[in-house]
Amino acid sequence: MHSLGRILGALVASAVVSVAHADTIKVGVIGPMSGPYALFGQNFKWGIDAWVAENGDTVGDHKVEFIFRDEESPDPAKSKALAQELIVKDRVQYLAGTYFTPNAMAAAPLLAQGKVPLVVMNAATSSIVEKSPYIVRTSFTMWQNTVPAAKVAKDMGSDKVAIAVSDYGPGHDARDAFKATFEEMGGEVVEEVNMPLSTTDFGPIMQRIKDSGADTIFTFLPSGPPTLAFVKAYIDNGLKADGIKLLSTGDVVTEPDLPAIGEAGLGILSTYHYAVSHDSPENAAFLEAMKTVGAKPGEVTMTAVAAYDGARLIYEMIEATDGKQDPDTAIEAVKGMSWASPRGPVSIDPQTRHIKQNVYLREVAKEGDTFINKETQTFEAQPDWGLAE
Amino acid sequence: MITILSIAIDALAFGMVLFIISIGLSVMMGLARVVNLAHGAFAMIGGYIASYMLREAGAGFALSTLVAVLGTIAILMPLEFLLYRRLYRNADAFRQILMTIGLTFFIIGITNTVFGPTSKPIPLPEALSGPLDIGFRMVPAHYVLVIACGAITALGLWFLLDKTQFGTRIRATVDNAAMAESLGIRTEILYAATFALAVGLAAFGGVLGAQLLPIEPYYALRYMVIFLVVVSVGGAGSILGALAASLVLGLASTAGKYMAPEFGDFFFYLTVILVVFIFPHGLLGARK
Amino acid sequence: MTAIGTTTAAGAPRLPGWVRYEVTAFAVVTALGLIGYLVFPFDLALLTRIIAVTFLVLSLDLVTGYAGVVTLGQAAIFGVAAYAVGNACLAGITDPVMLLGVGIIAGALMGLVSGVLISRFSALPQLVISIAFGQLVAALANKLAQFTGGSDGLAGFAPSAVLGVFEFDIFGRTSFGFSLVVLAVVLALLLRFVQSPFGLMCRGIRDDALRARMIGTAVYPRLIVMYGVSGAVAGVGGALSAINVGVVSLHSVSFEMSAEALVMLVVGGAGHLLGAVFGSILFQIFGHFVGSTNPFHWMTIVGGTLILITLFAPKGLYSAFASAMAKFRKSRVSQ
Repeated sequence: MHSLGRILGALVASAVVSVAHADTIKVGVIGPMSGPYALFGQNFKWGIDAWVAENGDTVGDHKVEFIFRDEESPDPAKSKALAQELIVKDRVQYLAGTYFTPNAMAAAPLLAQGKVPLVVMNAATSSIVEKSPYIVRTSFTMWQNTVPAAKVAKDMGSDKVAIAVSDYGPGHDARDAFKATFEEMGGEVVEEVNMPLSTTDFGPIMQRIKDSGADTIFTFLPSGPPTLAFVKAYIDNGLKADGIKLLSTGDVVTEPDLPAIGEAGLGILSTYHYAVSHDSPENAAFLEAMKTVGAKPGEVTMTAVAAYDGARLIYEMIEATDGKQDPDTAIEAVKGMSWASPRGPVSIDPQTRHIKQNVYLREVAKEGDTFINKETQTFEAQPDWGLAE
Repeated sequence: MITILSIAIDALAFGMVLFIISIGLSVMMGLARVVNLAHGAFAMIGGYIASYMLREAGAGFALSTLVAVLGTIAILMPLEFLLYRRLYRNADAFRQILMTIGLTFFIIGITNTVFGPTSKPIPLPEALSGPLDIGFRMVPAHYVLVIACGAITALGLWFLLDKTQFGTRIRATVDNAAMAESLGIRTEILYAATFALAVGLAAFGGVLGAQLLPIEPYYALRYMVIFLVVVSVGGAGSILGALAASLVLGLASTAGKYMAPEFGDFFFYLTVILVVFIFPHGLLGARK
Repeated sequence: MTAIGTTTAAGAPRLPGWVRYEVTAFAVVTALGLIGYLVFPFDLALLTRIIAVTFLVLSLDLVTGYAGVVTLGQAAIFGVAAYAVGNACLAGITDPVMLLGVGIIAGALMGLVSGVLISRFSALPQLVISIAFGQLVAALANKLAQFTGGSDGLAGFAPSAVLGVFEFDIFGRTSFGFSLVVLAVVLALLLRFVQSPFGLMCRGIRDDALRARMIGTAVYPRLIVMYGVSGAVAGVGGALSAINVGVVSLHSVSFEMSAEALVMLVVGGAGHLLGAVFGSILFQIFGHFVGSTNPFHWMTIVGGTLILITLFAPKGLYSAFASAMAKFRKSRVSQ
């Protein structure tokens, strides 16, 4: 019983402490801090820390505090519990993060009840923003990045494309987006392969693609070990030597994976909204700030930029509401907002609350000793094509 | 016809990879009677050492593989004294499962902290990387390496366990430890040697299989189930059984991926169920 | 036979047989509920999730702890029940008690199927069939996206108020209370069930299947029935998970879920229902705190802890606790 008393005492004490700092505005960030996707959760933290390092931890006279929680894997039950805990126990005014789609979906119904806006910093299924009027997204969607890829394929003179995507939500989005766009432009999709997420042996799939007579492969796999194996299989099974082109979304060639792919990856084309090598003063400043908060240069990914811009939105919302819990005013304040992000010019689409941004065609290249995604073409101000129709 | 031949080649290579990685677990489960769920973690350690040797220390492939095998054994032998010694022939499967899962988590956690979450490549020598033209299609050149090493491993193990005195002693100990001990066989040392053999094979498999099963911290969990399934389908402790199981399951996986990839691991596990129903003691396992 | 009666009634006078299990169950659950509510009043969502998983661990205890079937495919039952409940709710059955019934039926059916497949074998083949069965169900769940939502998860359903009175609220009070009551009822039933002639016979099979066969027990059919009961319990967990969260994902049928449940059971102590309950609660609360205070190193810490447990409490924490209590009492008696 003694320890129970002590715990209760501690609870009371913590309640007193939180009264003393009544004007601290808390932001709950849910991201994969452990597990196979920890790199991206770490990038959430770096991105937010970088924003705070540049802009301070106060907005007006309100102190802002970010609280991080670990979502680890697509587990909506756990994420919902985390979101609920953040809202009712930690009394956060804003939620942010969510790497995985089901986890974002699980949190959506809580937002209206808790009067808490959610800034999605990754989860890329188009329909998420439709699940609650209090959701705004600073990352990307598969449709957004894939529609330009289909245009690139057409411009390169591809006629017959084989689509190979990971068999889950974002993969299906990428497949549908590419197919719809490419066929509308008169191209032909000769093969569609849905690859299980667990696949690392791509030999048979390469064989299948080869048998289909395609001249170009369009692929999407989530960043991680399989992307490496996919690229290797493409080369080792002689598809590259046969002149079959490989086109992908940037997830297949995220910068932390490039050294592992190595020389073999040179020349791979991808369409994406952010390259670490993006040449702009904003990006240079961002990378500098990332360094000061401990980010290793080789481990910066697009989730850091989404988090950095997400923190900007949260600051804007705090300013607009003067620290009061008023989700309608907060969301209204960021609709139509536009700024120069490290990835280029962006704005929040007032209709969809999704970020409108440039999508770039990039090519894997070597600059000195580092592998980069070199931007070669810009598709300006792309909306989420998945919601545009 | 060419398609069938083509699938067969992919299946053979994938099956050999499965065999090389799983055979160490088969040795551990058949001879030391430990359901070692940390086997993948052991293989992963070998992969990390090889990757380090190749990329940071600039060693050659053969030397790196050797260092990986010996290094993994050296790193893990203390665990034999501290933990595994308590598990040999211990009938309590729960305790084995819990301890080896705990160990797996522990190793993943440490690896993640030390080496980071991204995958570590194991670059092959020039002659073994890239495509190789075999007439009717191109295959990855490392297929040659994998198939050759798989065959050599199988032969070597067969020789070691069936034709040497070491093998005779191990088999005697497996059959009746008390009797073996009373005949003057020092079973403690024998178990330690078996553990070292299993660990060495794990590391060897981790390095050679890395082209198809890339090395990263979650390797240990990601493929744990597959290794366990291969060994069980083949019959624990049976080299030929493990080889047969690897090839059958490699074929199921490859053919499934070629013909109906959207069904994922469905056909792989369907085959597992069918094989277990038809051969409940393992494809070539001993009836015990 | 009296292991449960004596240890849980520690200090209390011996209760008449016909209510002993009910009193035990309600005492344990009420105590846990009160402690939870008082100590973690803002973590009710976490506690509710822990309760749902506790049903999975309890169901695993029935087949593994009481009938000796080692399985790594139990989450398939839990997950299919959760999907069934989600679909039922989308189809218009929104009453939580009815949904619970849907979960129980779906779970029991899945349990019977698992039982037919898995308990046919023993030892290693059994373990492998259980894994393969679980993975088959997981692959199908991904494929049949029209019923499961695939990797995006099944979402967009909302159960109505419990008994038409208690609406599900953001603090999770209704979810927590509802789950606690269900846990008390199920635990009481199970405590009685495992002491029934059928339950005792299953233990006999676990201890020596050959001997059980010799004295004329039809082993296989009994194991299948046990699996059916176990499936119903797992179904309760799946139903509660779906009702309380409003989303069902592939995680609920995953191998990870099965493996975690087995770890929790072994940590707590297989073969004791209360061991399953404590193992589930302790493991998840420990995981939660390590995960939220040090998410970057939780695997190392949890892994190390598991190794320590196998070294110092190889029969599980519940047995370690029970034998410590017994020693303590003996030493008092001898004084």
